[in-house]
Amino acid sequence: MKIQISNGMFIAMILNIMYAKAIGVTQGVLARTVGQDMWLATLLGTIEGIVMMYLTYLVIRRTPDKDYIQLGQLLLGRWFSSLVALVIFAFFIVAFGPVMITFVYHLRDYFLPDAPLWIFVVTSLIVGTIGCYYGLEVMGRIAVIGLLFMFALNVLITIGSMQEFDIRNLLPIMESGAPKTAKASIHYLSDCAMATMMATLVLPVVKKVDQGHGRFGVFGIMGSGMMIIIWAILEGAVLSSEVTSQYTLSCMKLARNAHMGNFLQRYEMIMIALYSLPALFEVMFCIYGTSVCMSRIFGIKSNRPMIIPCCIMLGVFGYWIIKDHFRALDFLENYWPFIALPVAIGLPLVMILLRKMLGYKLQKKSA
Amino acid sequence: MKRILCCMLLIVLTVPLLTSCMGLRQINELAMVAAVGLDLGEKPGTVRLSAQIIRPADARGQTGAPSGGTGEPIYSISTEGSSIFDAIRNMGQISSRRVYWAHNFLIVMSEQYARKGIDDMVDFFTRNHELRMNTWVAVTSDKPDEVISTVTGLEVVPGEAVDRLFRDHRIAGRAPGTNMMSLEESYLSDSTEPVIARVSLQPRGVSNKKPGEHGSIKQVELKGAAAFKHGQMVGWLTADDARGVLFFLERLDKGIEVISCPDSDTNMITLEFNGAKLKVMPAYAQGRPKFDVHLTAKADIVENGCSQSTSQLRKDADEGLDQELTQTLEGVIDKAQHKYRTDFLKMGDVFRNKYPAEWKKLKKDWDEAFAEAEITVQVETTVKSGVVKATREGIK
Repeated sequence: MKIQISNGMFIAMILNIMYAKAIGVTQGVLARTVGQDMWLATLLGTIEGIVMMYLTYLVIRRTPDKDYIQLGQLLLGRWFSSLVALVIFAFFIVAFGPVMITFVYHLRDYFLPDAPLWIFVVTSLIVGTIGCYYGLEVMGRIAVIGLLFMFALNVLITIGSMQEFDIRNLLPIMESGAPKTAKASIHYLSDCAMATMMATLVLPVVKKVDQGHGRFGVFGIMGSGMMIIIWAILEGAVLSSEVTSQYTLSCMKLARNAHMGNFLQRYEMIMIALYSLPALFEVMFCIYGTSVCMSRIFGIKSNRPMIIPCCIMLGVFGYWIIKDHFRALDFLENYWPFIALPVAIGLPLVMILLRKMLGYKLQKKSA
Repeated sequence: MKRILCCMLLIVLTVPLLTSCMGLRQINELAMVAAVGLDLGEKPGTVRLSAQIIRPADARGQTGAPSGGTGEPIYSISTEGSSIFDAIRNMGQISSRRVYWAHNFLIVMSEQYARKGIDDMVDFFTRNHELRMNTWVAVTSDKPDEVISTVTGLEVVPGEAVDRLFRDHRIAGRAPGTNMMSLEESYLSDSTEPVIARVSLQPRGVSNKKPGEHGSIKQVELKGAAAFKHGQMVGWLTADDARGVLFFLERLDKGIEVISCPDSDTNMITLEFNGAKLKVMPAYAQGRPKFDVHLTAKADIVENGCSQSTSQLRKDADEGLDQELTQTLEGVIDKAQHKYRTDFLKMGDVFRNKYPAEWKKLKKDWDEAFAEAEITVQVETTVKSGVVKATREGIK
């Protein structure tokens, strides 16, 4: 029986895969680039992300039951489908770097500074493996719970930050200028890239995806934008952009500052518990993405045999990235967007172009 | 084989559950710091760090000596080091328990330390994830170790007593409520400078056993502030100046002012203003910034020592209050502009928000531009009532 996930699950998966990194790590990078205009860069990134997601949908519009790899096979044969799978595989391997930076630094730097790094990598991979083993439907359900957690986290941080909210910290608007803000938005767009690359594999299993006309993916990016922009505004207004720019994980700085009156302080442990599910979902999907691609490259029907080899590869790369904070930051700011975006924009464009050129093949095959 | 694999899997799955055992710290092994003092060390280039540590056996709700205790709710120690971190590490040579910072209420710096620069202090206390960001920060002209080890207020732990002083600082309105959050923000900002509350030891306490010896017990007083420029303290602000600072930085809306009666210098009338709103309107002309500071407030007569009727007094009280508040605002502006030449009133912030392009030109020399800026102060207050009393005239 073919697995199907609901539209709501798909939207929740988009929110989960973007949220964990975008609220803290990305906002810190944006603050360092455009100061208090970071919320504008997030907004711009959301609009760009919507376009990118629609572009991703356009590729499979006429063949909604085929993912990018299967479509590649129809268009140019096995070698091309393997190439597409390899590109997506490489994307998720590299994406595991920022995912680990987000997950590990939150837990290690703020809660368990004495625990060795490998514990975090191994633990997250074990949890991710379990989710991935049970497949997309289980992952979709986890994402829905993760979405509830994200709502709760947003409510907690908003209540805890309102006392210190100073709107003047967000002024003047567009101080960095439109070109610089637009350029900075690529950091947020690289978070959207995770969602669009996820869509390349997941869209065909979304219920009635062809009837949605790309709406579900767009709603997902819009929803993520709304959930994340709250953090951009709070970090700018409560902490100020100067303070936000000082920290690798600016969301943790905000969480550390949050308090409800005089008696409820330092409740970041509650927040991190809520935050962990979206972060673990990211790990889960990186394992899923790589294992699916690997199984297609080797012509194996199920992705399950590939989970462990993929975990080893992801683990080694993730560990190497997070071992050195400076390397991690350098990778995040100077390499990740320039790897993620060409893939996330280039792959759909190439596929659309090939569809235009070789569309007759698809018609022939469907006939 | 299957059994071995199952065992191995079980071990792998159990290992993550042990993460909380890594670097564990039991509560009875911790020395909980309630206040920290920072001063210059005896050797040049060193830091002297004092810590007020809660003594759990003696801090259980009441002063005195519970069984097994010493009667002293706190234990204060100090160490020196080349840096704050070094001094803290050296504390491990004295303290029988591991020093724990997460419940710290207060950081007190000596004047000498603050004048040397607070760069490392801001960095250390914001870099350390254990510390709360709403830890209060103060500067003192006394010895910080003496300030933090003085039992003060009604609370058993002095750090907590000072915490409460700070929490209610707006009632007296004589010192800003500076915490690590606001300090870090102003310290890192290009368009404003930090201002930190002042605490001092004053002989205000009266001994119950020897009431005749008035003022024999020193208490911590929260009054005044220290102005900073580029991370270094440049001078003190009086309690009146600090009141002015509160209007600019903390939107102070309530307070009392005492003015003399129109017909007598010795008799006084006390006015409580409320609903105060301060608005700073920046302007830019001929390459120079300009500011209009406008304060509006309503006031009630809460104590009247004047012989005139209240209705007669109303106009004079209005004028007197206007004059008093104008003096307060002009006093602090003058100190910021001319005495210390540092913008701790967030004027730069206001200017930057309205004139971002012009700010870019002035940003480099903002201290100079601010010092030469024309600032006009306008205060409008209205005395609205005599609270529960009608007039002073009685039966006509």
